[in-house]
Amino acid sequence: MNRTKAEIVREYGPFPGVDQVHGVTFDGQNIWFAAGGSINALDPASGETVRTLDVAGHAGTAFDGKHLFQIAEDRIHKIDPTTGTVLATIPAPGGGGDSGMAWAEGSLWVGQYRSRKIHQVDPETGKVLRVIESNRFVTGVTWVDGELWHGTWEGDESNLRHIDPKTGEVLEQIEMPQGTVVSGLESNGSDQFYCGGGRSGVIRAVRRKSKK
Amino acid sequence: MDSLITAAARALAAGDPLGALKRIALRDDPPALALRGIAMAQLGDLARAKLLLRNAARAFGPREAVARARCLVAETEIALASRDLGWSAKTLNAARAVLEAHGDHLNAAHARYLEVRRLLLIGRLDDAEELLSTLDPAPLPPALRTVHELAVAGIALRRLQTSPARAALTRAEQAARQARIPMLLAEVENAWSTLQTPAARRIANGEERPLLLEEVEALFASKTVVVDACRYAVRSGSTVIPLTTRPVLFALAQALAEAWPGDVARDVLLARAFGARFVDESHRGRLRVEIGRLRRMLRPVTDIHATKKGFAFSLPHPREVVVLARPVEEEHAAVLAFLADGESWSSSALALALGTSQRTVQRALDSLAASGKTQWFGHGRARRWMTPPLPGFTTTLLLPSPLPGD
Repeated sequence: MNRTKAEIVREYGPFPGVDQVHGVTFDGQNIWFAAGGSINALDPASGETVRTLDVAGHAGTAFDGKHLFQIAEDRIHKIDPTTGTVLATIPAPGGGGDSGMAWAEGSLWVGQYRSRKIHQVDPETGKVLRVIESNRFVTGVTWVDGELWHGTWEGDESNLRHIDPKTGEVLEQIEMPQGTVVSGLESNGSDQFYCGGGRSGVIRAVRRKSKK
Repeated sequence: MDSLITAAARALAAGDPLGALKRIALRDDPPALALRGIAMAQLGDLARAKLLLRNAARAFGPREAVARARCLVAETEIALASRDLGWSAKTLNAARAVLEAHGDHLNAAHARYLEVRRLLLIGRLDDAEELLSTLDPAPLPPALRTVHELAVAGIALRRLQTSPARAALTRAEQAARQARIPMLLAEVENAWSTLQTPAARRIANGEERPLLLEEVEALFASKTVVVDACRYAVRSGSTVIPLTTRPVLFALAQALAEAWPGDVARDVLLARAFGARFVDESHRGRLRVEIGRLRRMLRPVTDIHATKKGFAFSLPHPREVVVLARPVEEEHAAVLAFLADGESWSSSALALALGTSQRTVQRALDSLAASGKTQWFGHGRARRWMTPPLPGFTTTLLLPSPLPGD
């Protein structure tokens, strides 16, 4: 397994009125992050918050190209990002013990925090299609270039891990600085990961070595 | 943290413990146990809250030392609020060190203030003051700053230093307003009231008038000889002669002080000191002995001379003698005088000191407790009695967030 130290390229925030970051996603243009009582869009170039949706966001956030998916309590809401309207609701696979979430290959991938699992879920029905076991608490989940990555956070240690979606084997690990927390993970599709920083209220951009 | 934990923590922070419980009531993982504990504490079920937090601390893994330490701090605070001192200061200190080491200075300070409150509760003012002097409240959030200033004020009040007490209470009030915790503000206002309500009665020349705490302070600072019926002591300036263990001598001193500059007849003195209704020669002899003892003990502040009828205090002009009594005449004044030092007493120690039976003392304590003049903590043989917490012993629960990463 290849271990490297995280190189933090930029920190966004903390943002006024946001005391915690719970989930992070990227729509190709803006970073969206869940802040408890709202979901906010952030322009990664300027660092300014450009939109705020008045919906609950208690954990992971994902984007399927058209809609936002947001974990709230023990449900996953499908949300129209232009209006903030909740279009559909499915049960969350961890029954509220859910943390990170990504959208990829037509499925939602939902981390279950203390159970150290990632569920593959049908976004229409909420049906669990598959379960991947990890050996660390799972915080954020993302897919990039066909690679499944998830954030871990246990005790004082946080890492970004590239795992084999079939076996759960850890293929690569990027170690975050001591004492930083990963709460929510998404990539910009190329050279950066965006990591939610929990109670610090910041979002950290971490360099990713593109393999293309 | 996971989704429901986040939702429950938000509900708790918004003062909605039921909303929090609704989301996690059926979960037994450590963060859920911890939040359930905090919710139960907010709902006032302290016994259940303690148990849940203890279980949470045990359930957090070895890699979650901070969460474990925070649970312990919260559990300690709840124990303190329920007058249970059966926890170890050493364990709390170890938890504080963990928090300090992980950069959680806020909760480390929280732990320190619990220790300060413990010392206040058991009447160790010097130790509490010393610990407070090592703490800088400036960078702390307003709720903890309020706790700090209340403790400073409480110690000053107990020592009758009203001007530092006023200054600390002014700071406490500002901080409590910023904290926006109504109960905390109420505690500060309550502490103010001790400065604004009569703390004692001054009895001299057959006249009585109520005294505020600062007037008591001024009286103690003067050369006046004060026969202090709140504490069973005779004092003048910095000289204090305790008579807590000599109720007969104190009764004589009080009778002489009330009559000063006049004298008190022997039969009156006998009635006051021994409850004697008819007097024979043996009583007179005993009175002479006791007056002799009192004269020796009070020599540093006043003399006693015999008159035709009985005895009188004699002291050089212009010094005077006054009696300081409780604002309202109390039964069980002797028990209260012992507790007035702020120390905690077991009923058996009080019985020994007062020279009465434990049953009598217990009855006095129970009746005083029923009227809110004493309080106890601890259970069974470990039970200790003291006067109600001095203003400055914060009782509002300001529980730390028990979650890792918070």
